[in-house]
Amino acid sequence: MSKKVLLVEDEKNVILGVRTCLDAVGYDVEIVEDGEEALNSVNREHPDLILLDLLLPKVDGFEVLKTLKDKEETSKIPIIVLTAKAEEEDRQRAMDLGADNYMTKPFKPQELWDVLKGYLPDN
Amino acid sequence: MKLSKLPEPVNLDTVAKSLNDAVFMVDHEMNVVWLNQMAEEFFHTSFEKSQGKNIAELTAITKLEGLLNDVFEQQTPLKCSYEEASVKVKRLDERYFFKIAINPVFHEGKLWGALVQLTDVTRFHEMEKIKTDFVSIVSHEFRTPLTTITVGVEMLKEGMLGDLTPRGKEVLDAIGADCDRLSRLIDNLMELSRIESGTIYVEAEPTDVSDLVQEAVRPLKIQAEKQGIEVITDLPPELPPVAADFNKSVWVLANLVGNAMRYTDSGGTITVRVRQRGKRLFFSVQDTGSGIPKEHQDKIFRKYVQVSGEGRKGSGGVGLGLAIAKDIVMAHGGEIWVDSEVGKGTTFTFTFPVYQGNESVKLPDADQEGG
Repeated sequence: MSKKVLLVEDEKNVILGVRTCLDAVGYDVEIVEDGEEALNSVNREHPDLILLDLLLPKVDGFEVLKTLKDKEETSKIPIIVLTAKAEEEDRQRAMDLGADNYMTKPFKPQELWDVLKGYLPDN
Repeated sequence: MKLSKLPEPVNLDTVAKSLNDAVFMVDHEMNVVWLNQMAEEFFHTSFEKSQGKNIAELTAITKLEGLLNDVFEQQTPLKCSYEEASVKVKRLDERYFFKIAINPVFHEGKLWGALVQLTDVTRFHEMEKIKTDFVSIVSHEFRTPLTTITVGVEMLKEGMLGDLTPRGKEVLDAIGADCDRLSRLIDNLMELSRIESGTIYVEAEPTDVSDLVQEAVRPLKIQAEKQGIEVITDLPPELPPVAADFNKSVWVLANLVGNAMRYTDSGGTITVRVRQRGKRLFFSVQDTGSGIPKEHQDKIFRKYVQVSGEGRKGSGGVGLGLAIAKDIVMAHGGEIWVDSEVGKGTTFTFTFPVYQGNESVKLPDADQEGG
């Protein structure tokens, strides 16, 4: 049974790229385009892992991260931040809020696959 | 020829008064004796009110006290870096930046006081800030589109989205390589804007020299072999550790070796050498490349300067590598320089201090708070 990955990203082209990349290795991909929708869909979709952009409409990625990691039911879901924010302060802030991994854009498909495999070994 | 005389109302006093800088004359106790119109206006005072007042108190620039003490002690004009001589002044909720110049004044051969000149460099500061912010924003904004391109190209290259013609694969390889180049460039720009905004710290820790050299050279060896260039490391045994930020110093060395590879032909040699002299270690990267003409040698450490040369191969950066390398080396309290002769090759050398104790260095803060 393929694992479900929730991609939270508002850039259409990046969505296409990441989705293609995940489809290729057989993940089941759900996509939401803002932070609010991300919080709603986690309760609905029960993803096995979340790929989270930080600059998002409505509720920003840091807030999404904090909310999910603070809540008992969702705190165990691995969250991998995928962001253009490459400053050390942002990385530190995300890790402090409980992010499981922090990947800076741009990245290569292999890097993403390797990281995902670490969290979802039996896809 | 007859010298024309200044008309009566225009004497030297009038000239000094109408200067665009704020000028003060203080005695050896730092009390204001004279000031010009600009000084009166800017610091909300008048000639009468300022008389006998301490200049640091009058201007609320506490830094002046220390700087004046230095000048009085050494009896020479103020000698310090731009950062040290700048000060931020708040007035009516506006921030101004001044550059401070101080010259000692002598009377009958004895130190009498000093002339203090404050030049408004606010605009200059603003421009610097705009530039730094711009670089940061641009490098940031490039990352998102590059993600789509990088991911797409890699997937296509691997044939995961269908078959490719050999020519198609070749073109995609080239696009992929240029994506990598753009990514590196963005990283460099970010590093530079970090350094310029004074927010990065160099954590000087005891660093094993052999680890440092290996980490810098290893990733480049395969590429060097492909180009037919031999990379030799020459390290005497038992070198003491240096006080260096591991990642940043690896970056400097790797950057110098990478540069050397771009200017060295097949069959050439690049030698990475480390030597100790007293409390410093000298790291050098010597190549057998085309060399750098004398007239370019002092320019290459400046930002955005790239020396075009016949020996240059392939695609490079935009001339930021050496500027960043210099900033990093200097933040460690080291030096970097180049020796080169056209046709014979180039040697870049930098120094790091031997580790002594707990050192931690911060780059000069561009937004230094004064007064």
